[in-house]
Amino acid sequence: MNDMRKIERDVKMTDTKITARNVNVHYGDTHAIKDVNVDIADKTVTAFIGPSGCGKSTFLRCLNRMNDTIDICRVTGKIELDGQDINDKSIDPVQLRAQVGMVFQKPNPFPKSIYDNIAYGPRIHGLAKSKTDLDEIVERALRRGAIWNEVKDRLDKPGTGLSGGQQQRLCIARAVATEPEILLMDEPCSALDPIATAQVEELIDELRRDYSVVIVTHSMQQAARVSQKTAFFHLGNLVEFNDTDQIFTNPQDSRTESYITGKIG
Amino acid sequence: MTTLAFILLIIAVIVGYAINRVAARSIREGGNKLHSLTTYHGLFSALLILVPVLTFILLWLVLQGSVMDRMVMNGLQDGVLDGLDSGSTQLVLAEIKSISRGQIFGTPEDWKIAAADQYVAIQGRSAWLLVIAVALMALGLMAFARSRVSAQFRARQGVEGIVTGLMIFCSTVAIFTTIGIVVSLTYETFRFFDAVPVTEFLFGTNWEPQIPLRADQIAAEGAFGWLPVFLGTLVITFIALIVAVPVGLFSAIYLNEFAPKKLRSVIKPMLEILAGVPTIVYGFFAILVVAPALRSLGQSIGLDVAPNTALAAGSVMGIMLIPFISSFADDALSAVPYTLREGALGLGATRAEMMTNVLFPAALPGIVGGVLLAVSRAIGETMIVVMAAGLMAKMTINPLDSVTTVTVQIVTLLIGDTSFDNPKTLAAFTLGMMLFLVTLLINIFALRIVRKYREAYD
Repeated sequence: MNDMRKIERDVKMTDTKITARNVNVHYGDTHAIKDVNVDIADKTVTAFIGPSGCGKSTFLRCLNRMNDTIDICRVTGKIELDGQDINDKSIDPVQLRAQVGMVFQKPNPFPKSIYDNIAYGPRIHGLAKSKTDLDEIVERALRRGAIWNEVKDRLDKPGTGLSGGQQQRLCIARAVATEPEILLMDEPCSALDPIATAQVEELIDELRRDYSVVIVTHSMQQAARVSQKTAFFHLGNLVEFNDTDQIFTNPQDSRTESYITGKIG
Repeated sequence: MTTLAFILLIIAVIVGYAINRVAARSIREGGNKLHSLTTYHGLFSALLILVPVLTFILLWLVLQGSVMDRMVMNGLQDGVLDGLDSGSTQLVLAEIKSISRGQIFGTPEDWKIAAADQYVAIQGRSAWLLVIAVALMALGLMAFARSRVSAQFRARQGVEGIVTGLMIFCSTVAIFTTIGIVVSLTYETFRFFDAVPVTEFLFGTNWEPQIPLRADQIAAEGAFGWLPVFLGTLVITFIALIVAVPVGLFSAIYLNEFAPKKLRSVIKPMLEILAGVPTIVYGFFAILVVAPALRSLGQSIGLDVAPNTALAAGSVMGIMLIPFISSFADDALSAVPYTLREGALGLGATRAEMMTNVLFPAALPGIVGGVLLAVSRAIGETMIVVMAAGLMAKMTINPLDSVTTVTVQIVTLLIGDTSFDNPKTLAAFTLGMMLFLVTLLINIFALRIVRKYREAYD
């Protein structure tokens, strides 16, 4: 496993960005997440791994309250962002989601021009004071999404006309454009080919400088390549949470070991 | 006898199927590998018999009447039809036919009775001829189909070819019917323009079509300017859309995005029931409830409101159109992928922002489709307008005045005492033609708009 890693591990674990305590999620009668406690650090890539249906995506969606949009979903427990309870009545989920950006499994560019895709977030949150201001924001986001060079000559063309990998980087740029503090990624590479995946992974590593990134992935290699911290979920439980190299070289729990050696999942 | 022909056809189809299937099976049992399943061999024979013979029978039934008429009329003695115009000749033929059915009025001439006897004889012969022809055709086709059965014969492709042909036919029936309607309308329209100048019709502002049918009738001189009538249609359609489009769209948006599931499951079917209410019921509502209410409301604020108003008819028509627009818009919004909703929400958009900036533009083609359907219904709607808007053609856009529409005028022109070479009657066809052209133009125009502004999501 070690030889696959290209990221240095000497990250300075500064402050904790998100603290989750005793989080439980119910879908109707199904108990999807059971008493999960986790601390997510700033300027770090945290990977959630685990077999399908283990609740890793569900837990991710708790962090920006996307589960609110599902009628039958009920979340209990405490999730704090910078010490502030995000489920508190005083928190507007709309503003929370501007703070905690999200990238989805399937690239979902809006059927608008590339420019409008990026400008969407800044526009609805009033981040740009003028047209030139907005132009700058769009360019900066596209550069950070590592797609500027490919699209700079066709900003007025529809975003849906890009290739799958480009679309996903466009979506990452779109999420970055609203200046979030945290970026949630729900299996961002599962619809992409290996080359596009490599590009997105490289991008994730870049993003770590400015953001706290949480990524859900099916691929253990991907977790090993991009993350510094890894959480292993199994049947709704957080089984193990540790530094990525610890999880992959010296797992403490027998279930984690079985999973990373391919015996379960 | 026709029944016998049909029975023969059915038997032939079944027998043909069985023969080919058995033949194919015996080839397979003889150790050869068949290209097609035995069922396809059977179906090939059945379809090969069914389609041509059925077509033949139907054509025969359609054409035999005119052929027999011609035979009888040609068989009459020379000279008896001299000096009769085409109408009187038709009367003679009708009399001969009624004699042949045993309905004799007065004492017909001997040559008519003779012709009636001949007619009966021809009828009998025709029926037998049909049966014999059907039997021969079916046998011939059956033998041909049987002769094709072999291990290599591609029966499946044969069947698929015939079925494809049938599907092409079915899909073009509606198109050809429409073309037929347009052609007949065009013909009558040109006849109308022989009597009334095109410019008078298109640009005239006076519509008084009640012209005399016979020389001794007292009636108006007649004026055929369609503008007031068309203006009435426009006014009522406009009022209906002002009611229906916002209400329909907002109800669709509410049902699609904001309504709780339970409420949605109650409201949506109820809206769809609204679409099934007969328009005459809406007409009652317009004339008994809405029109008097408008009138008393108008009086209380000092407005002079006519008993029949464009506003009453248009607003009730708008209510009628709400379910069309809302259910089309709801379907279009539901068809937008869920990932786009999540994408917008994930960026911190409110549900309203998501709706106006993302879902609505993506669903635009479907929504415009619903509005277009509503426009066509509004332009073509007759009953509510007859009951609630009035019959007088007035050059006005005042919604509180009585107006009339193109469809209402078509109805009034075609009911009662009419003759088909009179400009009054022909005017109805011309109005129909104009209605057709107007809706066609609206459709083309709207499609172009949609193509320009739509945001295709896949």
